[in-house]
Amino acid sequence: MNKIELRQIQKMLHGQGYIGDDAIAMSIFLSIQLEKPLLIEGPAGVGKTEIAKVMAKALGVDLIRLQCYEGLDSSHALYEWNYQHQLLYIKMQEQNGQDLEKMENIIFSERFLLKRPVLQAITHPKKPVLLIDEVDRADEEFESFLLEVLSDWQVTIPEIGTIRAKGKPRIILTGNRSRELSEALRRRCLYLWIDYPGFEKELAIVKSKVPEVDEKLGREICAFMKELRKLRLEKTPGVSETIDWARALASLHLKHLDKQTVEDTLGVVLKDWQDIRHTQDALSELLEKTGVTSRIG
Amino acid sequence: MPFPLIPTQTELSGNIVLLCRFLRGKGFPLGATEVANALEALTHLPIHKEIYFKRALKAVLTKNWHQQSNFDELYDEFWKQLSRATDSKVRDSEGMRDKKSKGQRKEAQFESLKDWLNLNPSTTEKDVASFSDLEVLTKKNFSDLSEEEMRLTMRLLRKMARRMAHQKSRLNKKSRRRDRLDLKRTIKANMRKGGAIQQFLFSEKKERKLKLVLLCDVSRSMDLYSRFFVHLIYAFQNAHDRIETFVFSTALHRVSEILDHHEFDKAFDIISDRVPQWSGGTTIGSCLKDFAISYGNRLLDKKTIVLILSDGWDTGNPEIMREAMQIIHKRSKRVLWLNPLAGNPEFSPEALGMKTALPYIDALAPAHNLESLKQALYQFRKRRNLSNKQFG
Repeated sequence: MNKIELRQIQKMLHGQGYIGDDAIAMSIFLSIQLEKPLLIEGPAGVGKTEIAKVMAKALGVDLIRLQCYEGLDSSHALYEWNYQHQLLYIKMQEQNGQDLEKMENIIFSERFLLKRPVLQAITHPKKPVLLIDEVDRADEEFESFLLEVLSDWQVTIPEIGTIRAKGKPRIILTGNRSRELSEALRRRCLYLWIDYPGFEKELAIVKSKVPEVDEKLGREICAFMKELRKLRLEKTPGVSETIDWARALASLHLKHLDKQTVEDTLGVVLKDWQDIRHTQDALSELLEKTGVTSRIG
Repeated sequence: MPFPLIPTQTELSGNIVLLCRFLRGKGFPLGATEVANALEALTHLPIHKEIYFKRALKAVLTKNWHQQSNFDELYDEFWKQLSRATDSKVRDSEGMRDKKSKGQRKEAQFESLKDWLNLNPSTTEKDVASFSDLEVLTKKNFSDLSEEEMRLTMRLLRKMARRMAHQKSRLNKKSRRRDRLDLKRTIKANMRKGGAIQQFLFSEKKERKLKLVLLCDVSRSMDLYSRFFVHLIYAFQNAHDRIETFVFSTALHRVSEILDHHEFDKAFDIISDRVPQWSGGTTIGSCLKDFAISYGNRLLDKKTIVLILSDGWDTGNPEIMREAMQIIHKRSKRVLWLNPLAGNPEFSPEALGMKTALPYIDALAPAHNLESLKQALYQFRKRRNLSNKQFG
């Protein structure tokens, strides 16, 4: 597993149905080779999280996921003692009159340790893929905690001792730029920015994910999405919305877009009422632009 | 991870070090680790393909979005510059090739790069230094923001407004965050289980809901700022639940609902339609009195902060102004007056309206740029200073 070629990465991405460009393959390749975490940023719904999933699947290892949110602390990320079980155990052993020291050793052993994602990843026998999703949502304290783990690959549990990683797990961090991440965290990672795909790439994605969609319809959908993203929307739709929409339209057995259908199904693409209104106002213009593009393409 | 450093310095590795230096000058935070990483990355790749080479360097050397999008351009510039430096050096040394040592050559390369760095600051440099740009922006007067800057400012404003909406109170509530143990609740909850502590309960600070009334002057003297202030109001209105907004010039208009139900550009159009005196003269006093009498009972209480955005150029009777301010001051928690003119270091509240209102204001703050606005908004957290001269 140690020697992996760039071409293999491209092949494996493709094999898993992930349509990515060369920059993505290069970043994954280098992050595996240099054993560095990969920080992926980009707008919502362009397949950041998907990279980790595909990577785990392709390498045949487990994916451990840590979803970040505001208020995430180390007991959610690292480990926690299973307090209730410990308590029950003590109660059960009370009659036996066990030796105190022995008891302590049992209570604070791995048996009563609840491993959270980061510890799981470190103690995993086979290097897993650890996905730290939306890391910018977590507080700054968590970020500095993460720094410590990312640099030392060891976790100290006072009652047990220091646990060292068996092999460095492959780490993918994702973020939406909702908050600037610290320079220190960035420096420990390789960086990859994924933007909305171009027309051709998006079309390829739609074709591979929704094979039942009509060729012409697929082109129209992608052209429409491209124009739609140029509007100044509150929440610009990502690729996942394109796929949902293509699926919805394909299930309606449509062959091409018209104004009525778009208006009726806009809720699949846009998730904000102001955006929907805004788009409805500009719909004719959008469709006109789309029509032109599709005729040329 | 230990790895063999490239033992002999080849032309290539030297150039990569040079590239890193060049990029560092452009604001890339590249230390020795990154350089080593770049060199190591290249050992894993078939270097003869130039595109791999570039991509690998891009993946290792860029650390944020700005850098990633600027990298290609800088990369090309670097090689162009380097080859020019090499060329000129070759030409220079034609006659005395033997005498020039390798070290000196290297220096020539550096010098040329350095010159280029110092004398021709390119436009990209500005983009890379995005943070300091932001700093400039927060100090820039609102009246001379460009369209693009305006949009950025609005983003920052919305953030600020949201933060203001989520203030912590001193009261506690139950929490899922395992941060602060709530002893009282923990003991209480576990008593019924026989007194052995089985379950921990945690607490966090409750959020204090802010009640806000905004009164915004849209008269001609405020013309440069009023569009911006409506932006500000809009940001607030979207972040707070309990907010009422009025605009005034010669008459008072309640605009909360317009702002609630329309997106900004539309709301702005409707408001300027509805307010015929938009950018006309001002009678602050009578407008405020109108507010105090018509809405004072309903909207004002001791939890409400009143925010007045105006330059204080009143053309009405100062006595009316005094009465109005007295009522507002008495019924509200705090009265803040944001005056964009106060940003001028030579400012003193000379305008008659301003002078009259001054005793009834808890804080007069400049609001001509983001920085000052931020400072002003911190005032929200404070309580009314009782040692202040009290009127009414």
